[in-house]
Amino acid sequence: MALLLRTHYKLAKTAIKENRTRSFLTCLGIAIGVASIILILSLMGSISNLVKSEVTEIGADLIVVRPSTTKDTLTDIVDELTSANSFQKSSLALTDIKAISDVEGVSAVAPIAISTNTVTSEKNTFSSVPILGTNTDFVKIEPLTLRHGAFLTGQNEAHSVVLGHTLSLALFNTINSTVGQMVTIMGEKFMVVGVLDEINRSINFDNIDFDNALIMDASALDRITGSIQIQQINVKATNTDSLPQVSEGIEKALTNQKLGDQNFSVSYGDNITHPASSLFMIISGMLTLVAAISLVVGGIGVMNIMLVSVSERNHEIGVRKAVGASSRNILMQFLFEALILSLLGGILGLGLGYIFAFIISTITPFAPFISWEIVLITFLTTFVVGVLFGIYPALKAAAKNPIDSLKHYR
Amino acid sequence: MKQIILPVLSAKSRKPMSENILIELKGLTKRYGYGDTETFALKDFDLEIRRGEFIMIMGPSGCGKTTLLDIIGLLDRATRGEYILNGEDVAGISARRQAKLRAKKIGFVFQNFNLIEDLPIIENVALPLVYTGYTKTSRLKQASRALARFHLQEREYYYPYQLSGGQQQRVAIARAIVGSPEIILADEPTGNLDSHSSHIVMEELKNIHEEGNTIIMVTHNPALTVYATRVINMLDGQIDTDVKTVADANLPQPISVKIKRKKKKAAEKAALEAAIELPEPSTKNPTKSKKAESRRKK
Repeated sequence: MALLLRTHYKLAKTAIKENRTRSFLTCLGIAIGVASIILILSLMGSISNLVKSEVTEIGADLIVVRPSTTKDTLTDIVDELTSANSFQKSSLALTDIKAISDVEGVSAVAPIAISTNTVTSEKNTFSSVPILGTNTDFVKIEPLTLRHGAFLTGQNEAHSVVLGHTLSLALFNTINSTVGQMVTIMGEKFMVVGVLDEINRSINFDNIDFDNALIMDASALDRITGSIQIQQINVKATNTDSLPQVSEGIEKALTNQKLGDQNFSVSYGDNITHPASSLFMIISGMLTLVAAISLVVGGIGVMNIMLVSVSERNHEIGVRKAVGASSRNILMQFLFEALILSLLGGILGLGLGYIFAFIISTITPFAPFISWEIVLITFLTTFVVGVLFGIYPALKAAAKNPIDSLKHYR
Repeated sequence: MKQIILPVLSAKSRKPMSENILIELKGLTKRYGYGDTETFALKDFDLEIRRGEFIMIMGPSGCGKTTLLDIIGLLDRATRGEYILNGEDVAGISARRQAKLRAKKIGFVFQNFNLIEDLPIIENVALPLVYTGYTKTSRLKQASRALARFHLQEREYYYPYQLSGGQQQRVAIARAIVGSPEIILADEPTGNLDSHSSHIVMEELKNIHEEGNTIIMVTHNPALTVYATRVINMLDGQIDTDVKTVADANLPQPISVKIKRKKKKAAEKAALEAAIELPEPSTKNPTKSKKAESRRKK
């Protein structure tokens, strides 16, 4: 049997070699499908790697509280995106901060409330500036380095802001210190107390682009906008080993605070990176779907070529059957050919996908990331595609009547 | 299973000469179409073919010659009737078993050669061995030997289109005999050849036959019947005339059968001697068979 399989493999190899151009084009069809899947998987992998590395950088003692329950399935994410309510009214409130900080083992608590607003300096006006409402504990949890000045302190925090590097440059047209300058938001004046160092890390578990953001006290933000939405509360535990207990404590405290409503989630460790951005997950899901469609198109190409090959080699099938090939031998011969075509396409696609990912990595912060799982997925999918689209032509070849096929002389 | 089959075989072998019958067709009928379009390519066809015969089947077009050959070659199935090949009823066996028998016991030679154009001739010749489980090296070795027999050893890696018709047909004959089958079926092997080439091809077939192979050949050319040991004329799916030119006892036999016969004779002689005198026949008998075996190895 093994001998016969090797023979089939060799036959397929010669058949593919004989029709080089045709085989290459067929492979290319598969390769493009595989390459786009590889590209998407590698981008997704590199993004979650970025977030993961950030979490490890911050420290293992981080707990994150997010409104609503953990979004595990795609439907949950779609629900959240499509229902305006959950977006408008976060289930977390400023009063929860106090409740969390009272939990045993918690050393720092910082809310993250993002809204956008128009910011005016004496020189420029910018609309849609992301404003991060938080508190003084924020730097205890996340080590932000400041280029000039200091972070929000206990004194006069209601009228102070910290500017991101790019925002400071844009507002005051200078890379020099802008500490002491005034900015106006919603008609209220705030003094710049600090400017952040350039971070250049737009993807992180807070979902904030710090370079373009303006950071101010959460209650001050609440005051000027009327209401704020807390997207996330970052909690730092005193001890890494006590993370499960502390997160349980937070859960209990919040449930008490909300009179039994469990419309929030507490996560730590690797779970933090999971629902990094629901929108991103949806987009990548859609892209994977499109890539899968292109793989199907490639598979149809394989089937098409195999059908052509079967009718071209009608006579050969007749001769082979006459000298003793069984229908199964013929079936295997053509199935092998389809399989090799699609596996070759898979290998080509792996290479192409990696090259695309590499090109993208030169203009974005995503490093191309290819793990053995991705390679395995590639081979499994191409194998399945090969069998799926190769079986029909192979069956057709196997079912041919040798007498009729022999008459079919070219 | 074997225990059930063996008594049947031994019962057959008890009949004189019946071991030598290779093919037995009984009431073979092949019908095409139904109702008004019903036609019979073969009608209650009976035929016995002995090992070592060179049969030529003649007859007008449409008398069922090719259908008969296809059925004997297990490419086609009869509508009804019995087909006993080597004591085994093969009319109703599975397509897979049929393919296996085709690979091992039957060699085909066609009018239009039917070589695979994409393969060099050595691989064309090796084709039947692909499905009987030989390694590639041993396949090519055997194919090379078969080609050398037909004086084509210098053209092993030529492609069919680079050869003349006569050469192609010799390649096809090499392919038919490479697996040392019991029957060689030839459907007008000289139909596409000029007289010189067809003479060469017929000489090759004659040589093969003289080695004890059974050949069944369909032809339109009455001049070729000089090669045959038996000429069958067919008409409307039935045998019209059946003439044997060589007595059954004088048919050439394959070496294995010859050895078997010699062994049998020796055993009979030994038994006779044992019956007359009393020196232990059990010691004499094995030595003889050993000799026979060593002869076979050579």
